[in-house]
Amino acid sequence: MRRAAVPLALGVLALLPFASSSQFLVTLATLTAVSAALGQAWNIAGGFGGLTSFGHAAFFGLGAYAAAILQTRYGLNPWLGLPAAAAVGGAAGWLIGFSAFRAGLRGSYFALVTLAFAEAFRVLANSLDITGGGSGILVALHPAPGNFQFADRRVSYALALLLLGLATGAAAWLASGRFGAQLMAVRENEDAARALGVAVVRTKSATLALSGALTALGGVLYVQSYLYLDPGIAFSAERSVEMLLIAMIGGAGTILGPLLGAIVVHAIADTTRSLIATPGVAPMLYGVVLLVIVGVLPGGLVRIVARHA
Amino acid sequence: MPAVLRAAPETVKIGMIHPVTGPLAFGGGQCRLGGQIAVADLNDVGGIKSLGGAKVEAVLGDAQGKAEIASGLVDQMAEQKVAGITGCYASNLALAVTQTAAKYSIPVSIDSGIADSITSRGLANVFRFFPDNTTMTNQAIACLDALNKGAGSPAKSAVIVHENSEFGTSTAKLLATKLAGIGIAAKETIGHATPTRDFTNIALRIKAQAPDLVLITNYPNEYQLLLRTLYQQKVDLVAAYSVSGGGFNLPFAKDQPAVSANMIDYNHWYNPHDPRAEAFRKRVEAAGHVFGWEVLFGYFAVRVLADAIERAGSADADRVIPAFAASTWHDDWLPYGPTRFVNGQNQGARGLGLQIQDADIKVIWPGDFADAKPVFPRPKAG
Repeated sequence: MRRAAVPLALGVLALLPFASSSQFLVTLATLTAVSAALGQAWNIAGGFGGLTSFGHAAFFGLGAYAAAILQTRYGLNPWLGLPAAAAVGGAAGWLIGFSAFRAGLRGSYFALVTLAFAEAFRVLANSLDITGGGSGILVALHPAPGNFQFADRRVSYALALLLLGLATGAAAWLASGRFGAQLMAVRENEDAARALGVAVVRTKSATLALSGALTALGGVLYVQSYLYLDPGIAFSAERSVEMLLIAMIGGAGTILGPLLGAIVVHAIADTTRSLIATPGVAPMLYGVVLLVIVGVLPGGLVRIVARHA
Repeated sequence: MPAVLRAAPETVKIGMIHPVTGPLAFGGGQCRLGGQIAVADLNDVGGIKSLGGAKVEAVLGDAQGKAEIASGLVDQMAEQKVAGITGCYASNLALAVTQTAAKYSIPVSIDSGIADSITSRGLANVFRFFPDNTTMTNQAIACLDALNKGAGSPAKSAVIVHENSEFGTSTAKLLATKLAGIGIAAKETIGHATPTRDFTNIALRIKAQAPDLVLITNYPNEYQLLLRTLYQQKVDLVAAYSVSGGGFNLPFAKDQPAVSANMIDYNHWYNPHDPRAEAFRKRVEAAGHVFGWEVLFGYFAVRVLADAIERAGSADADRVIPAFAASTWHDDWLPYGPTRFVNGQNQGARGLGLQIQDADIKVIWPGDFADAKPVFPRPKAG
């Protein structure tokens, strides 16, 4: 009973914005759901697979640019951006993973490689005509469900929840399935896993591909919500850090961790910003609270839940 | 006879969205300050008279330099029933805000977002009292040409340095295409990220190219760091010239007189011959604030919006937007003349050629507005 209490509470919390007309609540819930989905996508690679990435913005940006370019340059229906972005993000994850893991890169070396890829994509997006260079891409405003643009923010929120559900489902599958067991074996001891017959490079590459595809879907949601994209928005290190931070604060390698992390991080950030008007105080307070959480709960917020369940 | 009881007029809310924390905090804070002064001034003279003297209330939002936060603030302000929004200092924030505001038909009065695309997308709710990027760059080229020819054409080549987001990239592209037309060859265009904290390599690249001019377009910190590095590396130039230079401001002129001396910028400024402008500057400085053109932007973005509300006699968007579009407002100290919006862009808006002389900002071009003679070419370095 107590075990079911947390998912139940999260479910009720997730449904609250549909019963409210408060735009503050809907905006907060949407940002939280997208962050949780991105954190969960990072968690699949970084938490379950031990593939600590500092450059997940690469996948977010690739997905966002894929969707934006296809509709603005080639006139494709924006909904087709979803499968296209997932394919691009997945392929990028596989390629980056396969090349790095075949070269035997792991730990901090792998983290730096991902950081470098994100930065390289940012530079490329700044230089290429197809991405609009530094000027970025503006998606024309035509609110209609067929255009993947919604006048009511709650629809965007529902889509963010769907993505979160998909990412959480993938995490649950990893936590209980055969592939997940192989992945965690690789995470704990690569040599032992290899000796047991696990295809280490393929397992890790597939995991990064899955994580990349989910992260790219988050990029599509971003573009369709805000209708503007530039290299800074798409590939910033800040975005990579946010994904990592949310999973770490909530509890990396757990199903509930990124959800809790996103809720707490956004609740602190957005409420302090709304309540404190003096510039600089809200971000400072936010930083202090995060430091306290990381210091007191190195295993993440999920430890508190586990203790009480 | 009993006194006539009349309900106190409701307040008219104006949203102000700016980045007041993060790397763009200085400029965003300046715009916000201008907006707050405008609100105080409006209330001091009786609020919105056509609405029975309704007071104007500022609803403040910190976009933190992030488009998604700026967009979310519009949602919240729509819920608070703002009559209009001003903002957003940076073009990428303005693009996000105007798109979201269009969904609610909230009029947006742009302060310092300069990208052409802010008003060229056909959004009926968006108005920019100030010049767009193409206007500024074309005028900046005309100014540079006049200064160069006036000195016997000593400048024949240039290196362009720009920050690599929308603002810097689009300006640099325009500059690169126009320079040849005034007899100046663009040797190289160098982009850099914001933030960038070390310009040594860029300064050395410029030194190796030995151009007559360095043309700069970037945000405040990078602007000043680049100029300081050029000064330290003793890069000899006919002139350093910026277009909408983010760091071209009075603190820079006063705090770094050696680095900033003779720097030329084509930028927004007030008409120095109008005594109200000088009085406004002194008022801002007397209150302990830094005076920069962003304060003027924040101020007039609110004033022109409030004028539309006043003439509409309503805070409803469907009446404010047509009133805004029909604005002929000219009670300003900017060198613009009467307002005339075409597709949301004020056609009379313009910049001025400015130069830092004696640790102050002087207008050097065009002659009608100038209060100092240009130093061009500048004295040799070191």
